[in-house]
Amino acid sequence: MGVKVLAFATSPRRHGNSEDLLDFLLGGMQEEGDVVIEKYALDEIEIRPCRGCNACEKLNRCIIEDDDLHWVLEKIIEADIVVMASPVFCMGLCAQAKALVDRMQVLRSRKYVLRLPVVPPERQGKRLGVFLATAGQDWDYVFDALIPTVKCFFHVMDIKNRDISYLMINNVDHKGELRAHPTAQKDAEELGRTLIRDIRKRLGQEHSGGRE
Amino acid sequence: MTVRVLGISGSPHRRGNTEQLLDSFLAGAEEAGGKVEKAVISTLTYRSCQGCNACHKTGVCVIDDDFIPLLTRKVPEADIVALASPIYSMSITSELKSFIDRAHTIWALKEKLKTVTYSKEHRASHLGYFIGTAGMDRADIFDYAKPVITAFFNGFGFSYPEDQNITAAGMDRYGGIRGHPSALADAFEAGKAAVERLKKTE
Repeated sequence: MGVKVLAFATSPRRHGNSEDLLDFLLGGMQEEGDVVIEKYALDEIEIRPCRGCNACEKLNRCIIEDDDLHWVLEKIIEADIVVMASPVFCMGLCAQAKALVDRMQVLRSRKYVLRLPVVPPERQGKRLGVFLATAGQDWDYVFDALIPTVKCFFHVMDIKNRDISYLMINNVDHKGELRAHPTAQKDAEELGRTLIRDIRKRLGQEHSGGRE
Repeated sequence: MTVRVLGISGSPHRRGNTEQLLDSFLAGAEEAGGKVEKAVISTLTYRSCQGCNACHKTGVCVIDDDFIPLLTRKVPEADIVALASPIYSMSITSELKSFIDRAHTIWALKEKLKTVTYSKEHRASHLGYFIGTAGMDRADIFDYAKPVITAFFNGFGFSYPEDQNITAAGMDRYGGIRGHPSALADAFEAGKAAVERLKKTE
């Protein structure tokens, strides 16, 4: 059985720096073989903002039914590795990524209010999260304010701090700049390979090998 | 001179905790003689920033929607602007973030096209406020919103020091803003004081 990877390219700019970084990571994962990768660009699906109605605290589902959240949530729960890539806009996630994070409220309600399992017991504590970001500014603190939001995103889907990996590249602004970065591609590909090997161990899967 | 005060609510709830806190701030501002206006993002038709960077060259956003009059007229013409949001997932709502992301077009005038500069006097006479509520009580609950709010106000040449945050945490514990011992009164006083301060410096 292949490792299931679910990836979100949240940037409104298709094939820009954050999505390039994501593609490098996914490329590294693919090299390990027997990996099923599904990537969605938020630009092409519709995830509306959370209404803050708290209905999910009682219903265990979101009352917004006419956008793409429902099947996205199912995929999040089924995935072994969840990846989110976002550009930094105004010191935060882009609004599109923030909408996705906010709509995870239904998982927060499930986990902390209704006290129901988010994933089946045999998969608890095994899943991995990855957050990738790029920023145009060269400030070393440019990612600091968004990290707590990223943690919320993963915590509610039962992925703990120790199981979240981060790769964040600053000082890349124009489209294509990430590809010229001295280490980004290598680091992203290596992270991808490492994570697949890690999740295989966690899931007790025999290494079938993609590179023999 | 009339002090113009603009409040912008980024809460999806109409007349919930955040909007009530904003309303208190605006009521205080009005009592001090300010000319008050409120925009509620959830009632507007808008799109999020497309990241196209066209504004870096033209200074104009390629999207024409309800955010444009706010960004090009109402915020720049105001003396006091209060951005209001509840904290969702340790930051502002995606609605308010959409608005702030779209202000990239104003940032571009200052930082890319360099057609706009703000003097020290301009910054001193334009005040930015953040009005926030949070269900939880964590000591750092509003901290991660502040850099985002700062980025917004920098683009418009508004000063936004630490004491221009009006925040109420623990809404879950208090059972809402009306259960909070001081938040609504504090917001009223802050709105009043903000207008009085600008009147004095005239």
